[in-house]
Amino acid sequence: MADRGRGGAGRGAGLRGGAPSARGGKSSAPSMDKPKREAILDLAKYQNERIRVKFTGGREVTGVLKGFDQLLNLVLDDVEEQLHSESGPSTRQLGLVVLRGPTITLLSPVDGFEEIANPFLAQEA
Amino acid sequence: MLPLSLLNAAQNKPMLVELKNGETFNGHLVNCDNFMNITLREVYQTSAEGDRFWKLKECYIRGSTIKYLRVPDQLLDVVKDEQNRAREAGRGPRGGGTGGRGGRGMSQRGGRGAARGGPMRGARGRGRGI
Repeated sequence: MADRGRGGAGRGAGLRGGAPSARGGKSSAPSMDKPKREAILDLAKYQNERIRVKFTGGREVTGVLKGFDQLLNLVLDDVEEQLHSESGPSTRQLGLVVLRGPTITLLSPVDGFEEIANPFLAQEA
Repeated sequence: MLPLSLLNAAQNKPMLVELKNGETFNGHLVNCDNFMNITLREVYQTSAEGDRFWKLKECYIRGSTIKYLRVPDQLLDVVKDEQNRAREAGRGPRGGGTGGRGGRGMSQRGGRGAARGGPMRGARGRGRGI
């Protein structure tokens, strides 16, 4: 029991380590304008929806969100990895996957995601 | 002027976020936390090479992958005003004790005193709490 508790705390600390600003921990949080206790992203709204996830190192996958936790660990189904090789883009099927939260750098819904022409040229002209 | 207070004040403002890998994201800030994790809406993503572009409805970016964020210049004035107002409000209840020291920006230490109001307020707050 005690071990399990310690393990949980350790993992929490690991996540906190992701941002240097958070080293102060709990004591520094109340001095901020708005201490955010709860997650800023409500993953529940993506449940059973296809999302795109990028990882540190550049790997990229899409999959249907089946589950998640506070550490941003995800369970995705029907996962397809987008490969960016020299010979051009390709994909490979990975099936049901657990994604490790701390390695995730970007998360967005596939719905509404599209490649477009340079949108900034129009503004400059 | 703390980086994260500026970021907090930038909610619903347009901004540009560049990641360590060179990718950039232009969008409106929806939310942020103390790790600098952010959520954006109506996002234009640009590849690191600057040659490909994508549109995203919304996205979540992990704070530790961010290189920098560009925010509107006017935000600086907004936050300064807010800080001033917060300091005034904080001063009111114990005006009797500190009132003799003069108004804002007119302390003996000169103009700089006003700019340093933030840290001073923090110190006082802590003192009171004990």
